[in-house]
Amino acid sequence: MRIGKGKQFLITLAAFFVLGISFKVMVLVEGLTEVRPVNAIPPVAGLICGPIGAAACGIGNLLADMAGTFSESSALGVIGNFLAAYLPYRLWHLFSDEEPNLHSGKNIVKYCVISAVCAMTVSWILAFGLYIMQGIWLEQIYTYVFFNNLGFSIGLGMPLFIILTSDSVRIECCRFTGRNYILEQPVLRQAVCVGYAGFMLLLFTGVEVWHFNPAEIPWMLSVSAAAAVSLIVILI
Amino acid sequence: MTKTENNILLISITLCWASSYIFIKNLPEDFSSYAYLTLTCGIAALLMALIFAKQLRKLRKNTWIKGGILSIILSVNLLTEKKGISLLAPSNASFLAALTIIIVPLLMLFFRQKPSKNLMLGACIIVLGLCISTGFTISGFYSTGTFYMLATCIGSAIYTIAVDRYVKEEDPLLICIVQMIFSTVIGFIFWYMEDPKTFACILYTRELLSNIFILAFFAKAYAYIVLMFSQKYTDAVSVTVIAATEPVITLGLSVLLPASYGGGQGVSSSSVAGAVVIAAGAVVAGLHFLERREKNCEV
Repeated sequence: MRIGKGKQFLITLAAFFVLGISFKVMVLVEGLTEVRPVNAIPPVAGLICGPIGAAACGIGNLLADMAGTFSESSALGVIGNFLAAYLPYRLWHLFSDEEPNLHSGKNIVKYCVISAVCAMTVSWILAFGLYIMQGIWLEQIYTYVFFNNLGFSIGLGMPLFIILTSDSVRIECCRFTGRNYILEQPVLRQAVCVGYAGFMLLLFTGVEVWHFNPAEIPWMLSVSAAAAVSLIVILI
Repeated sequence: MTKTENNILLISITLCWASSYIFIKNLPEDFSSYAYLTLTCGIAALLMALIFAKQLRKLRKNTWIKGGILSIILSVNLLTEKKGISLLAPSNASFLAALTIIIVPLLMLFFRQKPSKNLMLGACIIVLGLCISTGFTISGFYSTGTFYMLATCIGSAIYTIAVDRYVKEEDPLLICIVQMIFSTVIGFIFWYMEDPKTFACILYTRELLSNIFILAFFAKAYAYIVLMFSQKYTDAVSVTVIAATEPVITLGLSVLLPASYGGGQGVSSSSVAGAVVIAAGAVVAGLHFLERREKNCEV
């Protein structure tokens, strides 16, 4: 099944908006986050629709925020949700030439690892972004955003992706047609991606296991800066 | 669709149904279960009809009949379950409801379909897990509630077997839409008999609408579409085995979810032990070592 780009954008936007609004009642941190099954959509939208799906997720999140939790931190939500969709698309095509699917155990593991890296990325962007923008450090935000993203990407996003790529629906996924400007060589590609995942894991351990605060532990900001550079390299 | 993909789909349905209690709990106490059935199935039917409008042209008389039969079984189930739960302690009711795992293979024998030995062993281990999780408490079962819950089990088993048969003959998506439409109609008739004001008697709040919409989307539209799809590729016992892992998922949710949403509860050692045994039973049911052993013996 082939869906036009405009339709892809509208379907993703509508799904994100409707689901985002419905769960505004299940608040976890007032004005900032709630239980978000809508986080199942970005990896699926990214893998199927590519950059268009990612843009729809970012804008859909902004529109849903306007229904109650709109603030300057909504900008972080747009970036976070855009990356939650665009990063899986980018990572999948950096490491695989085949169209995204979960027909093999190897691909299921790949999807889970990508989801984990993306969940850490989004929670890092929101928690550290909030700290840099407003000087507020909320460990809860990092925790809730991480589990919302990881749990729903795997618990709901994965089945949704299986249905969409099954024999009955057989949706055509967006192919990567551009070129890798920096990560042309496989060795460099692997080094940068592993390095980025390592930075994310270090920050995750720092926040979730050691309960560090970037205001007291300066290396967390240094690692964040290095992670930001790696992320830009991956995205280009 | 591979077997692993199919199992992932079935686990996601169990996750949806296990977590739906959080949203059902958020509904007003006096909210009629017929209103619940009408609204959730109605919204789900509407959503599905909108999303899959093009496929509706393929609807045939047979699809209407089969979808109608499924919705009648489901509605009778809901009524007997409601009655059973009201007459029994919640733990007893949930234990009896889980016995579907025994009834499905038994009913399959009537249709001359023999489940595999691994599936049978897995089902027995799961029942043992259920007994462990309830602490082997067998008091309070001598009541008419037990009769209603057993009727629910038989209804669920018939439903699973009927779906198994129908989705292999018809388009699973269309059967699902028809089932939702008929369930809405049946729910509305009962709701009207209970309170003729129906929609006018509800106090619509944002919370209520959110909860209804979430249940319609996940517990009805998503769960039933996925159920129909996955049953096209697997057998009824496998579906029941994965559905029986609900206590494992509920245990996980009670640990992970914040207290305000029904989580953060203490976990007893018997429920952990029961969950481990249930999970082990599901794994045994998914393997084929008994069949292989039998084949090797024959050779």
